[in-house]
Amino acid sequence: MRSAHLFCAALSWPLLAAHALAAPPPLPAERLTVERLPPRSPHWVYLYDYVFDNEIDARVYLFDGDSHRRLGQIGAGFYASINLSPDGGTTAVASTYFARGSRGARTDVVEFTDNSTLTVTHEILLPSKRALSVSSLFNIAYSADGRFLYAAYMTPAASFGVLDPAAGTVLGEIDTTGCVAVIPSGRYRVSSLCESGRLLTVSLDAQGHELARAMSEPFFDADQDPVFVQGIPSAHGNVFLSFLGQVHEIDFSGAQPTFSAPWSLVEGAEKGHWRPGANQVGAIHRELGRLYVPMHEGGEGTHKDGGTEIWVFDLASHRRLARWPLKVHGLSRATAIQVSQDPAPILFAATETADLAVFDALTGRLRHITRHVAQTPWMLLNP
Amino acid sequence: MRTLDQLFERSTRSLAQRTSRRSVLASLGQLLTGAALLPLLPVDRAGRADAAESKPRANGPEDCQYWKYCAIDGFLCSCCGGTSASCPPGTAASPISWIGTCHNAADGRDYIVSYNDCCGKSTCGTCDCVRNEGEKPIYRPSRNNDLNWCMANADVNYHCTVSVILGVAEK
Repeated sequence: MRSAHLFCAALSWPLLAAHALAAPPPLPAERLTVERLPPRSPHWVYLYDYVFDNEIDARVYLFDGDSHRRLGQIGAGFYASINLSPDGGTTAVASTYFARGSRGARTDVVEFTDNSTLTVTHEILLPSKRALSVSSLFNIAYSADGRFLYAAYMTPAASFGVLDPAAGTVLGEIDTTGCVAVIPSGRYRVSSLCESGRLLTVSLDAQGHELARAMSEPFFDADQDPVFVQGIPSAHGNVFLSFLGQVHEIDFSGAQPTFSAPWSLVEGAEKGHWRPGANQVGAIHRELGRLYVPMHEGGEGTHKDGGTEIWVFDLASHRRLARWPLKVHGLSRATAIQVSQDPAPILFAATETADLAVFDALTGRLRHITRHVAQTPWMLLNP
Repeated sequence: MRTLDQLFERSTRSLAQRTSRRSVLASLGQLLTGAALLPLLPVDRAGRADAAESKPRANGPEDCQYWKYCAIDGFLCSCCGGTSASCPPGTAASPISWIGTCHNAADGRDYIVSYNDCCGKSTCGTCDCVRNEGEKPIYRPSRNNDLNWCMANADVNYHCTVSVILGVAEK
């Protein structure tokens, strides 16, 4: 056998030599660097991965809807609340950490990440009473001018903290008498949703101290048809959807919030069968006045079921413009959606099987699917 | 906030001490974040839970469709070293909770169920179960399952959720 091997080797030697002569030059040595982010794009989205199977390790992925690449990551810890500054330059993450990983002394903190570098620039230590709830845009929120950051507290007594992000300090705490969430408006007002169906609005002075408070008339019925806490920012305020598909448009541009007459996402035979549902139940293109809602067929108790279709509405006329089924694209239910705010908008839909689909937001044409982009992608943010 | 917490606790305890079991159960859904009552209610919860779980069956306590789980959102402690009504070893039960009203097809009754979280270890990570019958947003915390109900524990890390029968729901 040895002689047979030698014979084969002798035969192959000329072939190997010829191959060596034709081979390209070796690859150059590489230099290790750290990637820098490209200039910001309106088609970027910040995807909040709650990481439900390991809640102490939530994170935010920065994803580019044009290149379909993940650009980087921001750590988010345990039961994080996240939001972007009004100029889009900063991501605020309110989180809780344990001294020894999964146990030990609790530290509640807001961490500020520079979105041009994805590095943490500074932080604010919070009292250990941060609201530990699943994601919404109103667990932590900036004032419109970025002067204040409001952080929801719950022990389960409800209140909120007023923070100064520039100075890195907690300015004070405002009791909300059982009403929850921090919905910012104007200079400087914070509204909260109450079990009575009313909206509490607290006005603050320039130092973050309470000036006045007012309670609205009830605008929904928590027993018959509660509204989702996940409100959708609109051109002049926020839109709150109810479990059964009522649209409550609230104008926050005045001294006190004003309420438009509610209208319905569902008509005729759709009523009682189709309803909105998801972790993030809608998105609005503010310039175009288009509302996108994940909708599904289901009854009581299905309000967290994702949408099998995305329905598109014109906010001015309340007319439905389109229904975009997801299954035809091999997609599971949409559990979070977001739309870019540029003139050529794209719609992001994160699904229950953790895919991220990108659609043309004007036509519904599917542009791309990134499979298994996260573990539990429950919220999508953009400036 | 301390004052509010104390007021909340005092009013809850006071209510439990001056009302009958039936009336407490009847009004529980409207009034209370139920589990503060757990040490006070004279209900043989453990006995009932054991009886219900003594025979293996389809849709048993390790199955998300088990009747007691009608308003749960979390990991089933039955899969994590505990049972549907007991926390796994080394964890701590939350003293506060949300509640649901679940129908037991076996006896045709509706029961008030307290969903307490078991705390102090990181997520169990198996038997994820999300059902939302009668679940409400966080402005009605007593019916909300999005909150981490370990929030009032010394260690707020969430591990899994149990479903403890408080009693029959009065019609």
